[in-house]
Amino acid sequence: MHLLVCGGTGCRASESAGIEAKLKSELEKRSLDQSVQVISTGCFGFCEKGPIVKVMPDNTFYTQVTPADAETIVAEHVVKGRRVESLIYTDPSSKEKVEESAKMGFYKKQLRIALRNCGFINPENVDEYIARDGYLALGNIITGMKPQEAIEIMKESGLRGRGGAGFPTGLKWDLTARTEADQKYVVCNADEGDPGAFMDRSILEGDPHSVLEAMAICGYCIGSDKGLIYIRAEYPLAIERLKIALSQAREYGLLGNNIMGTEFSFDIELRYGAGAFVCGEETALIHSMEGLRGEPTLKPPFPSESGYNGKPTNVNNVETLANIPVIYLKGAKWFSSIGTEKSKGTKVFALAGKINNVGLIEVPMGTTLREVIFEIGGGIKDGKKFKSVQTGGPSGGCLTEKHLDTPIDFDNLIAAGSMMGSGGMIVMDEDDCMVSMARYYLEFTVEESCGKCAPCRIGNKRLHELLDHICKGNGKLEDLDRLVNMSNVIKDTSLCGLGQSSPNPVLSTINNFKDEYDAHVTDKKCPAGQCRDLMEYFIIEENCVGCTACARVCPVAAITGERKEPHLINPAICIKCGACMEKCKFDAIIIQ
Amino acid sequence: MSEKISISIDGKEIAAEAGANLLQVARDNGIDIPGLCYHRRITPTGACRLCVVKVEGQRGLLMSCTLQVAEGMVVTAFDRELQESRRHTVDYLLAEHNDHDDGTYHDELRILASEYDLLDPAQRKVPNIFRSIGYRVDDTSPVLTYDASKCIKCFRCIKGCDEIQGKNVLSFSERGIVSHIIAGFDIWSESECDGCGECIQLCPTGAIVEKPHRETIKLDQIEKRVKTTCPYCGVGCQIELLVQDGMIVRANGVEGVSPNDGRLCVKGRFGSDYVANRDRLKSPLIKRNGKFEEASWEEALALIASKFSDIKENHGRNALAGYASAKCTNEDNYIFQKFIRIAFGNNNIDYCTRLCHASTVVAMLRSIGDGAGSNSIEDFALTDCLFVTGNNIIETHPVTATYVKQGRAKGMKIIVCDPKWTPLVKYADIWLQPKLGTDVALLNGMIRQIIKDGNTDTNFISERIKGGMEAFEELKELVEKYTPQIVEHITTVPSDIMIRASRMYAEASTAMIATGMGLSQQVTGTHNVFSLINMMLVAGQIGREHCGINPPRGQNNVQGATDVGCSPVNYPGYIPVGDSDNRRRMAALWNVPYEELDAEPGLSTVEIMHAAHRGEVKGLYIMGENPMVTDPDTNHTREALEKLDFLVVQDIFETETTPYADVILPASSYAEKDGTFVNSDRRVLRVRKAVEMPGEAREDWRIIAEIAARMGYSLGSYSDAGEIFDELAQAVPMMRGISWKRIDHQGIQWPCHDPGHPGTSTLFLGKFNTPDGKAVLNPVDYTEQTEKPTAEYPFMLNSGRILYQYHSSTMSRRNKALNDFANEAYVLMNLVDADRLGLRDGDRVRLSNSRGELETILRESTEVAVGELFMPWHFSEAMVNNLTRAELDPYSRIAPFKLSACMVEKV
Repeated sequence: MHLLVCGGTGCRASESAGIEAKLKSELEKRSLDQSVQVISTGCFGFCEKGPIVKVMPDNTFYTQVTPADAETIVAEHVVKGRRVESLIYTDPSSKEKVEESAKMGFYKKQLRIALRNCGFINPENVDEYIARDGYLALGNIITGMKPQEAIEIMKESGLRGRGGAGFPTGLKWDLTARTEADQKYVVCNADEGDPGAFMDRSILEGDPHSVLEAMAICGYCIGSDKGLIYIRAEYPLAIERLKIALSQAREYGLLGNNIMGTEFSFDIELRYGAGAFVCGEETALIHSMEGLRGEPTLKPPFPSESGYNGKPTNVNNVETLANIPVIYLKGAKWFSSIGTEKSKGTKVFALAGKINNVGLIEVPMGTTLREVIFEIGGGIKDGKKFKSVQTGGPSGGCLTEKHLDTPIDFDNLIAAGSMMGSGGMIVMDEDDCMVSMARYYLEFTVEESCGKCAPCRIGNKRLHELLDHICKGNGKLEDLDRLVNMSNVIKDTSLCGLGQSSPNPVLSTINNFKDEYDAHVTDKKCPAGQCRDLMEYFIIEENCVGCTACARVCPVAAITGERKEPHLINPAICIKCGACMEKCKFDAIIIQ
Repeated sequence: MSEKISISIDGKEIAAEAGANLLQVARDNGIDIPGLCYHRRITPTGACRLCVVKVEGQRGLLMSCTLQVAEGMVVTAFDRELQESRRHTVDYLLAEHNDHDDGTYHDELRILASEYDLLDPAQRKVPNIFRSIGYRVDDTSPVLTYDASKCIKCFRCIKGCDEIQGKNVLSFSERGIVSHIIAGFDIWSESECDGCGECIQLCPTGAIVEKPHRETIKLDQIEKRVKTTCPYCGVGCQIELLVQDGMIVRANGVEGVSPNDGRLCVKGRFGSDYVANRDRLKSPLIKRNGKFEEASWEEALALIASKFSDIKENHGRNALAGYASAKCTNEDNYIFQKFIRIAFGNNNIDYCTRLCHASTVVAMLRSIGDGAGSNSIEDFALTDCLFVTGNNIIETHPVTATYVKQGRAKGMKIIVCDPKWTPLVKYADIWLQPKLGTDVALLNGMIRQIIKDGNTDTNFISERIKGGMEAFEELKELVEKYTPQIVEHITTVPSDIMIRASRMYAEASTAMIATGMGLSQQVTGTHNVFSLINMMLVAGQIGREHCGINPPRGQNNVQGATDVGCSPVNYPGYIPVGDSDNRRRMAALWNVPYEELDAEPGLSTVEIMHAAHRGEVKGLYIMGENPMVTDPDTNHTREALEKLDFLVVQDIFETETTPYADVILPASSYAEKDGTFVNSDRRVLRVRKAVEMPGEAREDWRIIAEIAARMGYSLGSYSDAGEIFDELAQAVPMMRGISWKRIDHQGIQWPCHDPGHPGTSTLFLGKFNTPDGKAVLNPVDYTEQTEKPTAEYPFMLNSGRILYQYHSSTMSRRNKALNDFANEAYVLMNLVDADRLGLRDGDRVRLSNSRGELETILRESTEVAVGELFMPWHFSEAMVNNLTRAELDPYSRIAPFKLSACMVEKV
């Protein structure tokens, strides 16, 4: 029997390490530690209900487990073979208990290719990866294929880069392979920077060998013996697991000189980023690895011609790489049979926001937004109304009700005014203000713009200011035109992808939620009630009994009134902290 | 040459070279696409986003600075959309920018703001926010101020510092809107910035500005901008002087012309204040009763003429001698040597070249027939391997060093050979650190190694060396005893490093040598250079492009002064004084009787001093030299000067030498006269008058001619320097094709034999300049130095220059900016020695030997080896030459400034 405990960063934060330890000690107490293994895995994806413990082989999926539950699981499930009902997932709509993950709404529509091993194997044990056919693809290729043949398969598969831009991976390999040089590099871009995105981290934490294997395959194809993983230093668990994976792979002769006894040698080094968003842009990433300031430079030359240390360099994202070994095992046809016409395979999304099932999901390309949000995601929290979904992170856009049946792929999302990006997906409900949302993203871009090119450096700052004005009720109608105008200039003239896409949240919200902007600038109202400066706290005279509770709690003495008389809020003093409303037992305080 | 292609910009057909930068091509053809971050001299950045264009067949707006032209390219540079986009971007830039303009700098952003009608803030779409960002001002550098509120983050300064100057001092701090430039780790004055000001010159918005004259300069009140040649080292940088109210208020590097293409060093940019220094000599001074009194020109000139005539009459013509000057123009020097040869009637003319590259020149003349550098400055970036020996090139020839660093960035190999650490070591692949005075052993060891490794160029040896393989065998036999072990024993250079260096040099496809004072200023100076040339010849690293040997000249016109004949052994054009055909030719040109031109070689610099000491030379005419500081063994020099019957010193300031004069004449600085200098790569460069001379000061050549006239000799009648140049071009065969007019825009490198000749960038491509056209091997053995450390004087003192001061510092120390960087003498001592003697950094110490003593500050350092010391010799309060000796190299008469035994004690 195996007890799989989620060891992803999310569940770790909810004490999954404690669960693991407790399970082990409970098993030890009962001398079951030889027959029952506790395995720490990568992320299961269902973070909303974490920490997850899965019991194999009977496939029981326990959710929201605490260390205190460990004893029960051992005593009941392991010893007595009885499922612990209280830990079994309850479907929110049918209210039925669902024991197996495959039958849960969250997992039903998912197809896990990149995440195939996450939550399934112990990422710190290379044997488990090998047992799942790990390194078989590499072996097949380096012993039986010419590099160009392997590249052709990659081209046929139709895999496109999962970092956001969707450039065909096979073509990229081909370009780098064709550039002559004494040294080439394979770089894994693990600088996941979108706020809220954690697919790359989860893959590295849950299945690091799939990335290493893919890098070695790429190295063989393009003629490189040196790989580099650029990973942000704030992913300590992923780094730790990569280090373990690297040393195990070297120990097994899967990396290093003469891999599997062939002429092919390949090894990988880790490089740590300091968390600048722009370093996810490949030229900036390369500069950062070289010890230079993480700033983008012009393309061409593309990294495939002149990259790290001026040598041809192939940069692929983590998720892209994780797809690769399985493509070689199952064939290009298999892979290209999944997805839409121009976007093959699956895509991992980090589902977040006002949604019931927050977590990491992987769906075939072509799945609709509706399926993702309402089936996998379990719909909007607290029965509120869906308003918008933001895809593509800070570079993406906000889509609305009318886009819900759009099949998700690279091209459709762009056509709808957003983008795939690296896979962030944030769902918003009726309480979310779209202007504030745009402002939030611009705040992020202003913070993360490297400052090299003028439009991005100054333009985004100015966009942010304008949005801030509008949120504070100082906006004018013509500001909306200026927003659009400035956004277009920034998009047209910025140097790298960051600036070229940073106005997207502004443009898409103006397009789709014009009325909300209008409300802010003309009526000076925030329909969602989010913009504090546009709110006013008000006491309904009829409801107020003059208990003085509100006046006593007000930190700035904005509320006056005699005992047992209706009170009054002075809007000039009020700082809109909301303390009075929370305190009032008579529903006498409202926001206008 | 690249393929010629044709493109179209806004409907205009333009011919260009394939792969050229589109923005540059457009601008070269009068289509002025705006752009602030692009600059011809640095790689494109694409930061300002103003140079947007559209290219048919390509999506979106493209930055023209990042595009290379290709056949058939159809470009739109100006249309409404592009202009609108540019207007927006200018608007953005103005929003983070402090508009305040004090009129002291050229503001490219302001010009654009005006073009896009955005000067008036009311016209702008986005309000200004620079105050809210909290930009900083860094005012700590001695020479510049950085104001982040004026910075548009165009990268020009950073790239100028990196790519042009190779210094890598500047970078951005922070990111996004608050990003700003920092030097080093933050504070400018604490960084490695050496004040060259490349960043100032490149800054388009006045974010980095000069400090000197900041209070007075107003660009709209600049009277003139004068293009001339820098008066400091022998690189010959072209500078543009800005003159306001009759004063030089700024110097910029002239872009687009050789040798510097805009670059300058700290001295070139900030070293011209001395011109207007109040200490300038303004009227002739005659010593009466031990005191100098102002006198009229008439009185002074008459006195000089009569004294010189008397001495000649009473003691013979050989009792007179003259020191010419490497600081003066070719015209001044040409007239000076003409004066010595005609009015004094002898060849007793020399100058400080005797004290710098005399040995190099002798060795080069004998081996390859020319004493000048064989390459061009650009070649320092193009060769595959550079061997720099005894030459602190970064400090002494900072602009040549920028080419070296550019070459380095492209993969050039660098070998530094120097007993003392120099900044170039940071860039070098190999640093050979021989014990002082052991160069011949090291070089012979390298030659032996090259032969052993089979790295000799036998074709070259057979075809281009006199005696071919036979001569080679003789050398081979001689160097056989210099085994790596023996060489290591003599020089202390580990044998593996020596072997590696010899291979790196010999195996390089092309290799160049830069040699300096370290090699030449020794009693064995000529032998050192012979050995160096032997190594070059056996490896065949000369006679091709980017190969050869170069002695970068220390002074602005040390090359020219010798070219035009300020030599006791040569007439103009390196023609020996004994050559009677030439004397006949010169007699005709000068319109004097042939018989009156002395055929006997004259006395050299130190020999003149010795002869004065012996009472044989009684009258001396010094033009722009300061032997009290520059000559070896100062006490001996003082005695010699005191023994003279009559001494005339012609200079721009009182110097350490003027107190010994009988008459002091006020002369002109470089900024006050027209003329020419010849730089280290044989480029004849124009000098132009920018300001008026102070008081009654006169141009040197006019003073000389006046003295001659009063002595009864006519040196010719010239109305200006141009006429002198045209005559000297006739006298100097290798300059015959150069005329005043031809060098108006840019200098020409001699030899240039006829007016259609473009000048010569590389010497010896076909043959050497020896009589039979072949190079000569001069096998030499290592001999131990005569000066050795003793129990009494255990240290060997080396001397040299630093970046911020210049020679006897008469000029450089009269510039606040330079003094702010370095204005104090010091001696470097190895930490081990300092520890042993119980001395600490900053201690005041006395250095002494049998010849003299000095006091200075001790600096503990690892830059010198144990047992060796180093001192800069610029500072008269700690005169290094108190300790040096006047023992001479037998061939070149150079003195051994680099090697003086002495003791050190705490004061």
